[in-house]
Amino acid sequence: MIRVLFFGRLSDRAGIEPWRLPAEGIATVADLIARVAARDPALGRELAAPEVLVAVNQRVVSRSAKVAAGDEVAFLPPVTGG
Amino acid sequence: MAAAVRIRIQEADFDLAAEHAWLAASGAGAVVTFTGLVREFDRDLEGRVEGLFLQHYPGMTERLLGEVVEEACRRWPLCAVVVIHRVGRLAPGERIVLVGVAAHHRAPAFAAAALLMDYLKTRATFWKRTDTDRGSRWLDLHDEDRRAAARWEEPW
Repeated sequence: MIRVLFFGRLSDRAGIEPWRLPAEGIATVADLIARVAARDPALGRELAAPEVLVAVNQRVVSRSAKVAAGDEVAFLPPVTGG
Repeated sequence: MAAAVRIRIQEADFDLAAEHAWLAASGAGAVVTFTGLVREFDRDLEGRVEGLFLQHYPGMTERLLGEVVEEACRRWPLCAVVVIHRVGRLAPGERIVLVGVAAHHRAPAFAAAALLMDYLKTRATFWKRTDTDRGSRWLDLHDEDRRAAARWEEPW
């Protein structure tokens, strides 16, 4: 399974509980986004926005980065702390 | 000598006097602190703020704050640094964030505190939602915050 986290405005749509998606057929972040989009097209469009960063195991990566079973993938809209 | 560092993410409020005393105990000649507060009015929604909701990415946030503090310590000789950021639901007027720096002289203390706040706002994984009497919205990063952080990239 892949654990998927959504933060900020994305959590309004996806919920604050992490998603657990089967890893079969998912090799990259882009594959994972396609899987999410199949389940929720509007959320998929939000994930495609370039200002949304992706972290795999808490490191920011590109959308071509590899994803495997056991990984934690997080979608991070622009941060607004302070 | 390496600076003493205290980084905390918590729901509870913090004690400004206690944090100041800890900074001062580092043997510094200067202590600068910044405190961020929940505003009473939201300019964009033009509504009275009922509360602020703060979310973060546990684990990643602590690491990123550590990297920001390391960057400040690379640039200036600092005696002690404290960063405390609250999460959860906060009411107008409540404290959100504390950045405190102790150094031997005021110039590095002022500069490091400014860099820490600018980088914290643009790099650390926190998200804020404002709830007002005219609706709720997740905040966007302002261009002025991006510019404030960018000035530290230039040689100075």
